[in-house]
Amino acid sequence: MILQVEELSKQFGGVMAVDGVSFHVDKSEILGIIGPNGAGKTTAINAISGFFPPSRGRVVFDGRDITGLRADQISKAGIGRNFQASVLFMPLAVIENVLIGYHKCYRTSAWKRLFRLPAALKEEETFRQESAELLDRMGLGRFTYELASNLPYGHQRILSICMALASDPKLLILDEPVTGMNESETQTMLQLIRRIRDDGIAIVMIEHNMDVVMNLCDRIVVLNYGRKIAEGHPKEIRANEEVIEAYLGKE
Amino acid sequence: MKRYGSLIGAIVTMGIASLIPLFVRSPFYLDLLITIVVNAILAMTFLMMLRTGLVSLGVAAFWGVGAYASVVLVTKLHLSFWLSLPASALITALVALILSYPLIRSPGFTFAILTAVIGMLFTIAVGNTSYLGGYSGIADIPHPDPIRIPFLPPIAFVSPTQDFYLALFLLVVVVLICTAFYSAWTGKAWTAIGVNFRLAESLGVDVFRYKVIAFVLASGIDGLVGSFCAHYQSFVVPDSYGMFATIYIQVYAVLGGIGHPVLGPVIGSALMTFFPELMRTTRQVAPILTGLLLVLLIMFLPKGLLSLFDWRTAVVERLTKLRKATVSSLLLKNGARKR
Repeated sequence: MILQVEELSKQFGGVMAVDGVSFHVDKSEILGIIGPNGAGKTTAINAISGFFPPSRGRVVFDGRDITGLRADQISKAGIGRNFQASVLFMPLAVIENVLIGYHKCYRTSAWKRLFRLPAALKEEETFRQESAELLDRMGLGRFTYELASNLPYGHQRILSICMALASDPKLLILDEPVTGMNESETQTMLQLIRRIRDDGIAIVMIEHNMDVVMNLCDRIVVLNYGRKIAEGHPKEIRANEEVIEAYLGKE
Repeated sequence: MKRYGSLIGAIVTMGIASLIPLFVRSPFYLDLLITIVVNAILAMTFLMMLRTGLVSLGVAAFWGVGAYASVVLVTKLHLSFWLSLPASALITALVALILSYPLIRSPGFTFAILTAVIGMLFTIAVGNTSYLGGYSGIADIPHPDPIRIPFLPPIAFVSPTQDFYLALFLLVVVVLICTAFYSAWTGKAWTAIGVNFRLAESLGVDVFRYKVIAFVLASGIDGLVGSFCAHYQSFVVPDSYGMFATIYIQVYAVLGGIGHPVLGPVIGSALMTFFPELMRTTRQVAPILTGLLLVLLIMFLPKGLLSLFDWRTAVVERLTKLRKATVSSLLLKNGARKR
């Protein structure tokens, strides 16, 4: 078990966006979080990844209580995430985007880096090479020096995952990785996500595309009005009456 | 080798600049050149903070802190100028560090307003402190002491030529500091925060810390220049560190080009200092022409003068793309025919 979320709640004014949600993620597992719009999915992962502290509840990651830490501390602990839509450093080159993911990987001392001593330059060169390799592996090799804003939409989404991967996470949170993609882009993304999982990185993903979720996820958590209404294997979820009701409404 | 390219470029430029006093002997023009250097450095510090998304309207106040710190150290505590120069930089950096906690925690707009308030308070506070000479300031501040190197004649700071070399030396130091920080991981973090701080945060960048680094470093440099200015001009008046100074500093910074944090300020400051002087024959209308120039530049080159070069590369990029697209479409047609 790599991530355990216990009784997580987040209140905005009088609104309970997330209300006592508990779930866990196992190592090398893909967990899907689904639910109608406004169910509190994004709020839940924002609270887990530190964009705001949860109102109540506990988040334990890799045996360590990370509740209420800042986003950068949680990133350092080993949780990477991407954002809905294309959130990238648009005016920068693709490789520069990925390099920022290496921010916390520097090992040489600050002085060596400021004086640009050989050790620091070598370290930077290593990061540059690793970034280029990562981009190659993820199929963005030919865009390495292109500006991020010039990439097609599908590739931008892949780049955002590359950036999260560069920070060497043990758990990757993906917010709607295939939303708005065409069929072939979706297939590429599915392959990439599977490959990331096979590398031993656990994945939590929010997605609206049911085919993708049912295909890809090992387990699924369903939220509605901030509460967890179901959890289980895709087959169980598909047959769950409460879930069907939440999506289609009561007869 | 490529990594040190900008460094070599800077050294060559400075080498050429150091020859200027051989040709320019008029104290008036040397004074202009020194003003350009000072304004350029101040504009660089403004851009350094802007990189991280901090719009500081209090640059001149920190410049003033450095100036007054140095005056007190030299005239009241009788320190040598060469000690008080780095000391005032450190004092200003320390002041910035103390102020940074409440300032940088506040959101962007509040930060701008708070720094503006600090800028105004500085003038009022100094103006009402008789120890610091009040609004009439302190005059007769000693020039930098002569540098005594054994077996060589002492270097005395008696003419603008020596002051120019000192200003140039400070410019070299500041440029080296700036490029070191911009080209290292700090520069990457600053850019990342400035472009999208949420995303930077999610990649492990401690946003607060890197903003503090930019703010403290920029203020320290302001203090350094402040110390130099006080002793060069040999007087300090609180009003010269007020809101107007800050606004001019921003103009120099933006005019050259925000994307060029070191070269841009030099260009902007040189233009804004020389242009009014060139118009001197028409003294009454000079400010109007300067304003007109400014409006035109902002209308047609909103990213600054140096964006002319970026613009050219953008055109080249567009053309390459067009060519690629044409080639690939032709290839596709051929492919279709073959099939």
